[in-house]
Amino acid sequence: MSTRLDFKMLYSDGALSHPAIAVLLMGKSGSGKTSMRSIIFANYIARDTRRLGATIDVEHSHVRFLGNLVLNLWDCGGQDTFMENYFTSQRDNIFRNVEVLIYVFDVESRELEKDMHYYQSCLEAILQNSPDAKVFCLVHKMDLVQEDQRDLIFKEREEDLKRLSRPLACTCFRTSIWDETLYKAWSSIVYQLIPNVQQLETNLRNFAQIIEADEVLLFERATFLVISHYQCKEQRDAHRFEKISNIIKQFKLSCSKLAASFQSMEVRNSNFAAFIDVFTSNTYVMVIMSDPSIPSAATLINIRNARKHFEKLERVDGPKHSLHMRMR
Amino acid sequence: MEDDYRPLLSSGHTAESLSHRGSADSLDFKAKRPFHVEPRNIVDDDPQERVSAEAAILNSRVHYYSRLTGSSDRLLSPPNHVIPRPEEIYIYSPLGTAFKVTSGDPSSKNPSIVTIFAVWNTMMGTSILSIPWGIKQAGFTLGILILIIVGLLMLYCCYIVLKSPKAIPYVDTSDWEFPDVCRYYFGKFGQWSSLIFSMVSLIGAMVVYWVLMSNFLYNTGQFIYNYAHNVNMSDSQFGTNGSDRVICPYPNTDPGGNTTPTITTLILDGNGTSDNSLFKNWWSKTNTVPFYLIILLLPLLCFRSASFFARFTFLGTISVVYLIVLVTIKAVRLGFHLEFHWIYATGFYVSEFRLLFPQLTGVLTLAFFIHNCVITLMKSNRNQEKNVRDLSVAYLLVGLTYVYVGILIFAAFPSPPLFKDCIEPNFLDNFPSSDVMVFVARTFLLFQMITVYPLLGYLVRVQMMGQIFGNHYPSFLHVLALNVLIVAAGVLMAKFYPNIGSIIRFSGATCGLALVFVFPAVVHMISLKRQGMLRWPSALFHSFLILLGLANLIAQFFM
Repeated sequence: MSTRLDFKMLYSDGALSHPAIAVLLMGKSGSGKTSMRSIIFANYIARDTRRLGATIDVEHSHVRFLGNLVLNLWDCGGQDTFMENYFTSQRDNIFRNVEVLIYVFDVESRELEKDMHYYQSCLEAILQNSPDAKVFCLVHKMDLVQEDQRDLIFKEREEDLKRLSRPLACTCFRTSIWDETLYKAWSSIVYQLIPNVQQLETNLRNFAQIIEADEVLLFERATFLVISHYQCKEQRDAHRFEKISNIIKQFKLSCSKLAASFQSMEVRNSNFAAFIDVFTSNTYVMVIMSDPSIPSAATLINIRNARKHFEKLERVDGPKHSLHMRMR
Repeated sequence: MEDDYRPLLSSGHTAESLSHRGSADSLDFKAKRPFHVEPRNIVDDDPQERVSAEAAILNSRVHYYSRLTGSSDRLLSPPNHVIPRPEEIYIYSPLGTAFKVTSGDPSSKNPSIVTIFAVWNTMMGTSILSIPWGIKQAGFTLGILILIIVGLLMLYCCYIVLKSPKAIPYVDTSDWEFPDVCRYYFGKFGQWSSLIFSMVSLIGAMVVYWVLMSNFLYNTGQFIYNYAHNVNMSDSQFGTNGSDRVICPYPNTDPGGNTTPTITTLILDGNGTSDNSLFKNWWSKTNTVPFYLIILLLPLLCFRSASFFARFTFLGTISVVYLIVLVTIKAVRLGFHLEFHWIYATGFYVSEFRLLFPQLTGVLTLAFFIHNCVITLMKSNRNQEKNVRDLSVAYLLVGLTYVYVGILIFAAFPSPPLFKDCIEPNFLDNFPSSDVMVFVARTFLLFQMITVYPLLGYLVRVQMMGQIFGNHYPSFLHVLALNVLIVAAGVLMAKFYPNIGSIIRFSGATCGLALVFVFPAVVHMISLKRQGMLRWPSALFHSFLILLGLANLIAQFFM
């Protein structure tokens, strides 16, 4: 396990000096959290980590995204008494400084009462330790439900969860790793975590119109989830965001095997030119130009200038400043 | 530029060659599904979408997920329900052409008419020969009423059997049969008991077949001998006179009547020359013919595959149609002889309501029995939403056929010289072996049974050997032992108790108890309860069904 190159190498900018803000990914063991994390963050799942049964995630808390958020994975309500005790004794530590709680429910689970019970105890801990945290519930493995029953079952669960979560407000998504729902749910979650996202979107639109791009996408850096996009005409492929994300994550995996890190990419043919580049400390940008006569250098200069402008935006209403205030 | 259309990422090969991850990354192609989608050209306006959007994005996911785990790790492999259907998949040949795999699914969809006919054909068995006897046992009016009521009840039970796999949530039940549903709800007990009761119906049918085949072979041989030697058998049997003879083979065994027949005992062994008695010694319905059949049928039972015999199912349809025609002609020639005596029977007739009616319900439970294979039969229906309608139409047609044959034979049975009580459990026995039309019917039926008997034996073998040994053909000795047991049962019945009415009603009531009444009703109630939709009228009705099934079986022992 120690020979794998985590993304901490890409983020070793001294940000480890201040304590991390956690995103908790919790759920019963076997509900699909490790697979989900692996797919979203492009982590290789080694076989031996899964054989351990319960996920002991203490040493994996280096997956960072959105600059300063750290993803922690915990099995909640497992059968393992050792894990239960460890979890209970570390409760306050785990639930302190939590920005987001993402709770995963397996739609196939036969023990609904038990699942709800564990979820409620996590909510209690959140209320005690991080009452301002955002709560998201993912009803996972929906591909195992027959298509005509999916909406019904999800609505039922959503009602129950919203009712149980009061006074906290929870947002529910239905997900499956075999359709676009997982990508969309995580994109929505990340979108809600970016503090000044509307302003970013307006500026992105202006930027796109100025440089006459066909489409401009803003990706989160670690996960390549699309935070925001602007398109000037109808695009045919509705799944293009997920496809681009998958392609780039595969490329990042290959790069990491060579101990290289991915910085930028240009793809060009007689019909279009695409540029992917680092944008701000949290984001990547992708610019699609369908006029191939515009030289690359021009677009790259535009992107560089825009970068300075967006960084200023981010620093002024720094996304984690408000959180830094709350840290003790 | 020729690089224009190369995909951004080649399908993993170059990436693979750069890494040396050791054995975890060895080229284990067996674990990888061969699923590739050609890159889409979205720049040109290609009107023909050869690659659907879902396939393209699934391809992207499969490629990405396969990079996240070891190549032999199945954690992120696409499950079956996610892969497109075979009809949507193209196979690429190395030469660059692509073709679609024609749906190799053997059960391609049939229109409603074909499904209805298949259900009717499967249900029409030899029980049609016992319907007139059953109506006689229950009384004419009561018999018809019971036929209608039992038909409706069994149709309802068939409907809940058909519905039962769909009510199971979260599991793919597309290739389940009713024993699998029983296993889901009741575990091993359900699986084994539904198997055993299924065996009861099959082995019961095989025993009936043996008795009937001995009967028909005997009569056929008798006809040929009489025809060849010009022997006239008419005065040795008690019956009507004239060209359309109807006989009463066992006039003494007359349970209900107080009157004794005026024409007394028949001498079965005829006024024989030595030739005749020699023939009668060597060609006897109960003593020798059942054994001759062993030579023909035991080898056929030991065949490994029964597909050869499946080709002859058309013989069954022809036999039934011929029987209907035969019955119509006989009724026209003999005329109707009906008198309605409601409670008390006179000598020649039977009362309209008799206490022996459970014998009819037992026979009908086997006559309308299709519950162990209805799911498979209806699966190949093209319009699945019309399944209930098609099943009901099939049951209606079967009921009409039975009613037609039953009423005509019963009504046309010449009562003044003969007793209605003489109607035999196999109504063809009421016609002498010299009757040409009936001879043809017997021959048809004999051939049909000879081809169906190995099919039934194959079904028994597959289910028993499959459950006990896990293998359909463990060894020749195992299969031979099973076949000898089945054949022995048939021979013993044919020799000592060739009353097919009793065999049919006992085996019908037994397998009906489990597979028609108890299991479907309990499964239905449990599935409703799990969905929280069980209301007390429904629970009451289904419990009543279970009681009916029990009463049906218990009553058989008191008749």
